[in-house]
Amino acid sequence: MVTTKSIPPLTPAVFHILLALSTGERHGYGIMKQVEVDSQGKVTMGPGTLYGSLKRMLDAGLVRESEKRVDPEMDDERRIYYQITGMGAEALAAELERYQRIVTIAQQRKLYPKTLAYDV
Amino acid sequence: MSDARTVHALYRKLLAFYPQEFRDRLGLSMEQTFQDLWNERLQTKKGWFSFVLWTFVETAIGIFREYLLLISPGDLMQTILKPIGSSALLGFLFILPFMIMEVVNRRNFKEEFPTFLFFAMWLNLFAVSVILLPILRARRTGTHAMANSASTKGSTLLRNPGSAAITSVVLFLSPGILPLLDSVGWLSLDRLFNGPNPEAAYLPGMIMSLGLLLFSVAAGIVASRPIVNTLRARGSLFAHPINLIIVVLLLSTFVIGLATLIIDQWPCFVGVRNCD
Repeated sequence: MVTTKSIPPLTPAVFHILLALSTGERHGYGIMKQVEVDSQGKVTMGPGTLYGSLKRMLDAGLVRESEKRVDPEMDDERRIYYQITGMGAEALAAELERYQRIVTIAQQRKLYPKTLAYDV
Repeated sequence: MSDARTVHALYRKLLAFYPQEFRDRLGLSMEQTFQDLWNERLQTKKGWFSFVLWTFVETAIGIFREYLLLISPGDLMQTILKPIGSSALLGFLFILPFMIMEVVNRRNFKEEFPTFLFFAMWLNLFAVSVILLPILRARRTGTHAMANSASTKGSTLLRNPGSAAITSVVLFLSPGILPLLDSVGWLSLDRLFNGPNPEAAYLPGMIMSLGLLLFSVAAGIVASRPIVNTLRARGSLFAHPINLIIVVLLLSTFVIGLATLIIDQWPCFVGVRNCD
């Protein structure tokens, strides 16, 4: 059972990387592109932020490196792929649960955009 | 094509500045990602200058961040960046009334705005705040969890009170080598700080003065680190007396410096003509 109490909140960069990896393994560039798609272009992650976060995620066991292989959609260079671990999936689930609770509170307090008094 | 080669070679050189462990683990991947971003840029036929500038700056910030984390792991914002940002802002807010007094009370005298005076005031305040804030914050919010992360990680230099005290004293005294070199005639301090024409403002001299002041700020931060760690562990403020004495002495120096500036310039702030 995932509880928000046992896992600390994630930084936005770590959250987006985990979200990008939740649908499958990706290499660095692939993660960047997926983050852009997931955030509808609102989050652009540079290599410094991406790899700094990946380093800490590897150390914390949230992601792991998988075998080097060629991306069929790109050139013929072999790339290092990253995949989410069980712990990473739990951390992502806990973060989403936190978001869910915040959205629920916002709705109850009529702060959620669609329930705002002046919006109705 | 040669542009691409040069840019790639430069990026590889930039990556060499990452800490060894980071470079060994992720350097190759980063290089590959840069190549992918470059290819994407070429395909979209957008200019490469802004892309190169953004990537290099972003990566350089990443390198800086990795070194900061090596010095002080844990919550980076909490340990390093937050006190610096808050201190810079506090310093500015404190000098703001004096700046307003200067502008309002001297508006008829057609004098130049004394930027360097306010910068010196701000710097003294910044120094006091950047040393004192983490101590106050640690005292107020100290928890066992934070203490664990601070005491089990981090470089020995900042964790060990003895080595932190020695490093701090060395940092504080190191600018003292300049008067020594001046006394044996190896360099001229006057020329170094005032330039060839002492009547005119000399920017390199000002920058060097600022650099020397920053040595004292760094000395205060290094000396206070074991105190902050102990306070986070709910230990006593007086657990490291030598470090505490160094911190108090440095803080006193900055406070006296600031008070002297305010007292000396007070007539100017209140609008006395020919106050200097």
